[in-house]
Amino acid sequence: MKTYVVGSGVTKVDRHYDKNYLVLIDEAVGKTLANSGLDASDIEYLVVSTAFSESILNQADPSTYIAQNLGFRNVKALTVSSGEVSGAVALDYAHALIRSGKASRVLVVGFEKMSEYPSWVINKVYSKILEYEVEGIKNVAPSDYAALIMNDYMRRYGVSRESIIKWSIKMHENAVKTPHAQLQFTISADSLSKALRISEPLTMLDSHPTSDGAAALLLVNESVAKKAGTTPIELVDVESSVNLPIYLRDDLTYFSATAAAYKRLSSRNGVKLTTNTAINVYDTYDIYGLLTIEALEICARGEAVKCVDEMPYLNVGGGLKARGHPVGATPLYQVHELRELMSGASWVKYDGDISLAHAMSGPDNNAWLILLKGWV
Amino acid sequence: MKHSISIFWRLKDNHYKIYITKCGDCGRVAPLKRLKCPYCGSRNVEHVESRGFGELINYTVSYYRTEGSEQYLPRVVGLVKLDEGPVIVGEITDVDLNELSIGTRVEAVLRKYSSEDPNGLIYYGLKFIPVIKK
Repeated sequence: MKTYVVGSGVTKVDRHYDKNYLVLIDEAVGKTLANSGLDASDIEYLVVSTAFSESILNQADPSTYIAQNLGFRNVKALTVSSGEVSGAVALDYAHALIRSGKASRVLVVGFEKMSEYPSWVINKVYSKILEYEVEGIKNVAPSDYAALIMNDYMRRYGVSRESIIKWSIKMHENAVKTPHAQLQFTISADSLSKALRISEPLTMLDSHPTSDGAAALLLVNESVAKKAGTTPIELVDVESSVNLPIYLRDDLTYFSATAAAYKRLSSRNGVKLTTNTAINVYDTYDIYGLLTIEALEICARGEAVKCVDEMPYLNVGGGLKARGHPVGATPLYQVHELRELMSGASWVKYDGDISLAHAMSGPDNNAWLILLKGWV
Repeated sequence: MKHSISIFWRLKDNHYKIYITKCGDCGRVAPLKRLKCPYCGSRNVEHVESRGFGELINYTVSYYRTEGSEQYLPRVVGLVKLDEGPVIVGEITDVDLNELSIGTRVEAVLRKYSSEDPNGLIYYGLKFIPVIKK
């Protein structure tokens, strides 16, 4: 049984001090159902994705309270939490429900409220994506690892610090054209020397911002998709792999979990990514975006900086860097952006048959891929 | 940051000492006392204590502020290749940033991890300093 996306909706990614998670989700779900031809009473499963609701909102299992507050009366509700890949895991669960025939209409909702506390509190929460007993207890931060990886990449391949920022410049250019993106302004390499340092050589210009947001996707089986009011996109396959922690890796500059997941996905589905394929990858830090397009075999190792200008459909929504990173919702934003691109609703025209979303927790600690295909 | 006393007590061998897990099957070594070899999954492992000396192979000067870390900023976080082989992540402290470089010899010392516990508890653990020449 095949899985189709027949509706999607997102809120603007921002610091929504005036809205709680229910208000954000209500907006995203409203947009999703409005363009799908279905309503809340048609939904069988409500699969909710969040990474930090227990830490930030003091709320365990928000799916129960989303169902209670937003009028889902006869739904089966559950919460998926798996660090920065929560949204990808939620989509995989929904995909399995449809494929197995257990459900025909599943609403996947992702959200995060990262702006509820000052940055020094939220930074600690975000650092929980690393292993507490080994790294967290020593105050090792995710940005520290990105800096170590950037150091190794520059040394190994002779890549300059100034050239790495090309990724972020492109992401901001894409965000300016994306209404729901958080950082809708351009940046230049000249700003690098004045940028606030996070973990040297990493600066604010290399990093994702602190973001709130909610996104929803409606997944259905083929018979429901045929009756939908919009052109469906097929969710073809999901694949993933886990890496070793970075201090056990022989080579910090190779995202082997992303590479292993891609090899399996590529061989199973007979697809090969090129510079002209629409992809939406995790650029939590710009160096991670570069390593990801190398692990996905789009660019040769050490050559990603040269590839970026040749990839017209790379993170068209601005990536985590500039669209923002409402963690539990981010993979859903990625799929929403790819759906818009494949259905002609994006700012750029795309004729390709397939597209790919990539999510990962930490520096490739846990990497997930979602393959999408146009309706045929 | 508030830590659980029982968690911290259980971790004493990995934060007051440095142990190494040696695999009897694949022959690889990894830092920390581990149930299984992280490379091949074997339970045929031996735990030996490191002397705590090594070489700094990569580092960052970090300004990433988290609750309670203000007094320690900027911090140097790095990867240390222990003389026994494995690489461990840790903080490099008591160091002049102008004199720090890749290849610096370092040794483990007991230092404060955090002291902002609401009950006044102070948590200690191992950090690295440049080797003191005797």
